[in-house]
Amino acid sequence: MADSKKPKHQRYHSTAIESMYPLLALMLILVACVELCDAATVVDAYRLIQYDISGVPFGSRFSSLNHHAASLSFQRGADLSRSVLILPLRELDLGFLQDYISQKQSLGGLLILLPERFRPGNVGGGDVISETEGLRKLLAQVEKLLVHGNIPFPVYFAFENEETDAMLADVKKNDALGLQATATTGGYKLVISVSEPRKIPSPTITNIQGWLPGLRADGDSNQLPTIAIVASYDTFGAAPALSVGSDSNGSGVVALLEVARLFSTLYSNPKTRGRYNLLFALTSGGPYNYEGTQKWLKSLDQRMRESIDYAICLNSVGSWDNELLVHVSKPPDNAYIKQIFEGFSNVAEDLGFQVALKHKKINISNSRVAWEHEQFSRLRVTAATLSELQSPPELLENAGSLSDTRQNVNEDAIIKGVKLVAESLARHIYGHQGKDIKIFADDSSLAVNPHYVRSWLDLLSQTPRVAPFLSKNEPFIMALKKELEDYTAEVSIQHESLDGTFTFYDSTKASLNIYQVASVTFDLLLLLVLGSYLIVLFSFLVITTRGLDDLISLFRRPPSRKVKMV
Amino acid sequence: MTLFHFFNCAILTFGPHAVYYSATPLSEYDTLGTSVKAAVVYLATALVKVVRSTHDLDLVSESRGYNLHFRFHFHFHFHVQLVCLATFLQVSETEVFDPYQEALKAMIGFIDVAGLYFALAQLTHRNISQNHKFQAVGLGWAFADSVLHRLAPLWVGARGLEFTWDYVLQGLEANANLVFTISLAALGSLMWLRKNKPKTLIPIIYTCALIIATMPSITSYLRRVMGWHFPKVVGFELITSLLMAFISCQLFILCQRPSL
Repeated sequence: MADSKKPKHQRYHSTAIESMYPLLALMLILVACVELCDAATVVDAYRLIQYDISGVPFGSRFSSLNHHAASLSFQRGADLSRSVLILPLRELDLGFLQDYISQKQSLGGLLILLPERFRPGNVGGGDVISETEGLRKLLAQVEKLLVHGNIPFPVYFAFENEETDAMLADVKKNDALGLQATATTGGYKLVISVSEPRKIPSPTITNIQGWLPGLRADGDSNQLPTIAIVASYDTFGAAPALSVGSDSNGSGVVALLEVARLFSTLYSNPKTRGRYNLLFALTSGGPYNYEGTQKWLKSLDQRMRESIDYAICLNSVGSWDNELLVHVSKPPDNAYIKQIFEGFSNVAEDLGFQVALKHKKINISNSRVAWEHEQFSRLRVTAATLSELQSPPELLENAGSLSDTRQNVNEDAIIKGVKLVAESLARHIYGHQGKDIKIFADDSSLAVNPHYVRSWLDLLSQTPRVAPFLSKNEPFIMALKKELEDYTAEVSIQHESLDGTFTFYDSTKASLNIYQVASVTFDLLLLLVLGSYLIVLFSFLVITTRGLDDLISLFRRPPSRKVKMV
Repeated sequence: MTLFHFFNCAILTFGPHAVYYSATPLSEYDTLGTSVKAAVVYLATALVKVVRSTHDLDLVSESRGYNLHFRFHFHFHFHVQLVCLATFLQVSETEVFDPYQEALKAMIGFIDVAGLYFALAQLTHRNISQNHKFQAVGLGWAFADSVLHRLAPLWVGARGLEFTWDYVLQGLEANANLVFTISLAALGSLMWLRKNKPKTLIPIIYTCALIIATMPSITSYLRRVMGWHFPKVVGFELITSLLMAFISCQLFILCQRPSL
């Protein structure tokens, strides 16, 4: 409507634009055409992920939607196979949903309305934290249920707004009364017209590697040892278009970039350049048993791989308070592990928090790789994962769920994590183990930059990063590459295809059209009214212009003809 | 919303014209030719008429009730508007009701009346009574108006999924318009074709004709100055149309009496 106004004003404005009339006419016709399409409310809807593991289907198997809206206040037992059930997260009954899915009941579609605060990039606030915490837990449960189920109807997520609230209130009112949807009582039709979801052909995963060489003493022909810092950057969540994973593993990526920035400053000066090479890697495929990490490691030069002294993997370091865990797969009494852990715990002590060691053996026969360091350990490279998570995550979990948004990540936690890693690395590199030296002190030129951390965290919290949906030249990947280029001497990008066990389907985001519609009953009624109106009009006109007798004779004529024929 | 709804609205918009034709003696005397001629005159008039279209355009801002009127105009009236607006109306469009501008528009609205005059008095009709002539002309005129102004938006809009009352209201407006047009044609035939009418009635006839001819301006005033909504305006139009029809009918009968 606003569009149509503007040219209208111009049109009357002056004769000077007379010559532009044909152009304006064209514009106006275009505007008129556009108006046809958006006569109704349109909101963005995000489809539940659809994927197969070894051919076994999971997630939402359908995408297009064209049904009436229904709410949970309908009479129990009603047939919902031709309705879209709208469930606001605040009122969602998990047991009901569980039953519904496990009993494989048919449903026209499911629309889950999320509070606005779960929108990626929404910093928001002002909500009651306890309520938010409850909702987050519920959302995580719903997500788990949906992601691991095979759901034979379209499932969409959308964010609450005034329009959806108004619609929901109307729909609820009708459902509670058991009313038929009519124009006056507010029937709604939800339409998403998208094509059948298609398989994504050969999804790729992209690893980015940055190389910061150490200083080799003159005449020293031996290769320098290398320390690797690794974080997986991609995500997996119920709605791929919303899966930003601020904590898992946005926080790890941010920490890695900041560590790279700190060491690039140190290494840019030959005096402070350490005798260790630093290898930074942002790996993809994290949710899928760290496939990217595995492929990246295998592609590394044998000599290079063997030169790796140890690797530190960063995973979910954005929302912890007092204790960070060092997960390892070698026994804790292993000399290298001891050395790494002692390095961490000394620094942590100085910084005023604790680190704890957690050991989990690798079961080679099990294909599940719960931690990124396990991929290193499988290739006999010493490695540890720094994480706030207490227990190893299950497959496809803790990888960027809907509830993992910016609001739940604490910048200070990330900064503490960065300090821990950077400081312990520096003490190791410069041989200051066990000494209380602060290289990255807060007010020095080597201080951790909170603005840098925040801006990257914000960016990551707005960027969905489910690997199969990222193209090879995704702007986000290019941005990461550019960032590493700024801090390291040599950056390389590696594209690998994702293992065939996983198949993904497209159409992750769509426009949901909400139409207020009248029922067929209403139209029938209208037809009846109009018909009787025309009949009354007809009779009235005949009577006034030709007289009552004419009207009567009009109805008598046909039978009289029949009589004649007989 | 659906084809069904479109069908309903079309019945409401165009049905009364058909009913009027078949119910009254018009069909018996086969006056279709006269109606068609009137419709052609209407189309010709539309090419030199600006007011109605500008009037409708004014309502763009009003609501989406307006939208309906909006689209067709670009198909039919746009070039006309260009010619006439460039020559007559160098006025910027404002939300305020500008009496001068409205007067100008009303003046141009009388092109309608001129067209009706031409259709009634100048065109050669088959030998039908004055009584039927004005009805046939009014009917053709109103039908052409409905087709031109209402069919396209109806076709485009009423088949959409979204339900609005707008198209039903538009159909009612078409009904009111039919009554207005026939009343105006009746008054026109009294003014131009009947010679021996009672002197005392002449001012009343002219006043009524004036009121009907300025109806578009009146509704525009109601919408823009009084801020009436579409349903209220349509209700007003319906009531006034019936009132005017009644008055015109009485005048017609009064004028006919001396000749009897």
